[in-house]
Amino acid sequence: MNDELAIMRTFLKGRLDIEPARITPGATLAELEIDSLILLELFFEFEEQFGLNLAKDIPTPKTIGELVDIVKGLRRATAAG
Amino acid sequence: MARRRVAITGVGLVSPFGGDGEDFFARLLRGESCVRLYCTDDKPRPLAMPAVRCADFDAGAILGKALAGSTDRFAQLGLAAAFDAWRHAGFSCADHIDKPDYGVAWGTALGGTLAYERGYRDLWQNGRERVAPLSVVLGMNNAASAHIAIQLGLGNSCLSYTVACASAAAAIGEGYRRIRDGEATLMLTGGSDAPLCYGVVRAWEALRVLAPGDGNNAARACRPFSADRAGLVLGEGAAALVLEDWQHAVKRQAPILAELAGYGASCDHRHVVRPEASGQVRAVELALADAGLRPGQVAYVNAHGTATPEGDAIEIEALRQVFGEHAGDLPVSATKSMHGHMMGASGAIEAVITVLALQQDALPPTAHLDVIDPACAGVHHVVGAALRGTGARIALSNSFAFGGSNAVLAIRTDRNDTSA
Repeated sequence: MNDELAIMRTFLKGRLDIEPARITPGATLAELEIDSLILLELFFEFEEQFGLNLAKDIPTPKTIGELVDIVKGLRRATAAG
Repeated sequence: MARRRVAITGVGLVSPFGGDGEDFFARLLRGESCVRLYCTDDKPRPLAMPAVRCADFDAGAILGKALAGSTDRFAQLGLAAAFDAWRHAGFSCADHIDKPDYGVAWGTALGGTLAYERGYRDLWQNGRERVAPLSVVLGMNNAASAHIAIQLGLGNSCLSYTVACASAAAAIGEGYRRIRDGEATLMLTGGSDAPLCYGVVRAWEALRVLAPGDGNNAARACRPFSADRAGLVLGEGAAALVLEDWQHAVKRQAPILAELAGYGASCDHRHVVRPEASGQVRAVELALADAGLRPGQVAYVNAHGTATPEGDAIEIEALRQVFGEHAGDLPVSATKSMHGHMMGASGAIEAVITVLALQQDALPPTAHLDVIDPACAGVHHVVGAALRGTGARIALSNSFAFGGSNAVLAIRTDRNDTSA
């Protein structure tokens, strides 16, 4: 959880000026005003940081926690080849 | 449907001087230039040229981080100018007013060229295999108009006009037509461009039309109508005008700054860069006819005047043809001598200047015009300082573009009563 959260906190502070303390697993993307374009940028950031190559049909998360789970799953899948 | 009169109820801009619109205009009246030497560390050959930059413009502070991060510089400048005009017209930028009869007509010659250039650098210079995920929405030419409509809640047509150097004038004119013809109640119009990126500057340089200059003389680099004029000066900027159905403006007790009384558009249809007096004549005459004006009623022309050897002479020839016996007494100035050529934003910033000139009864000069080129003689060039107290109430703003497109706006303040 920590890696993904840290990346999101840094990115969202710089991009939307969201205080890092608000980026918690239970926070919804809607309340943080993370729309589809910001989500696209976040996935791009994860790709850059973790060397991932994400598919186009990634599920759309509703919360930060769901987003973290998605990225962790993709990292495991990538590591497993 | 009866033709509607169109009021200008708000103007706004991003000033390269760093202050507000009043400060910008006051400096122009004093003949001050905002052209500076612009230097970069670009590779392989850094830029060092006279240019106009809005150096103090802080998009994050004005628009907020979220919006600034979702927009390229031309859209950021455009949003800031639009917000400025919106407030000037008595609206709040905090309200998303959700008006289906209010729209946007915006001009840009280049769109989000900085976003595209970043992508190219990533791909071809930095060895990356992909570009930033928002590259498309940052770069698209209608990004400025779209964000303006989204931010303010303007649901009528939201159109972008790309007509090179006449982009903003065409946008203002086409927006005016929508109100005049009853298709919209209010149109937020204007233009913005941010052309100071490496590839664009090199492209203009290759065309051999940029004025030379160094740290000592950059401010005087753009000299329209001068015998020693040496080319244009690129600039970034934005300006906006709120156009409104006259009755609607009166009803909401909006400040009526001026009337946009006419618009003329034509195409030279001869050559992609060489202007033709005949095409410009038609645009001016169409604007006068649309406004119901005779040439003798016009008391000021804000010229296109870019300071290219050929273009300036053709424009004056066109004015001589239209204004005939009145031409010699017709005050004309090219304010690009001070604010440079803001490409697709030029028509908007010059329309704003024209409105302020009529309002304040003070016509800005053509700066650095020490010796008038004989080919540009035959009109009353406003030189040195502002021409004040002429009583000018009717003016034209000319914009002529590569591609042969011409757009002329007729603006008047002699009927600023509250009657319809």
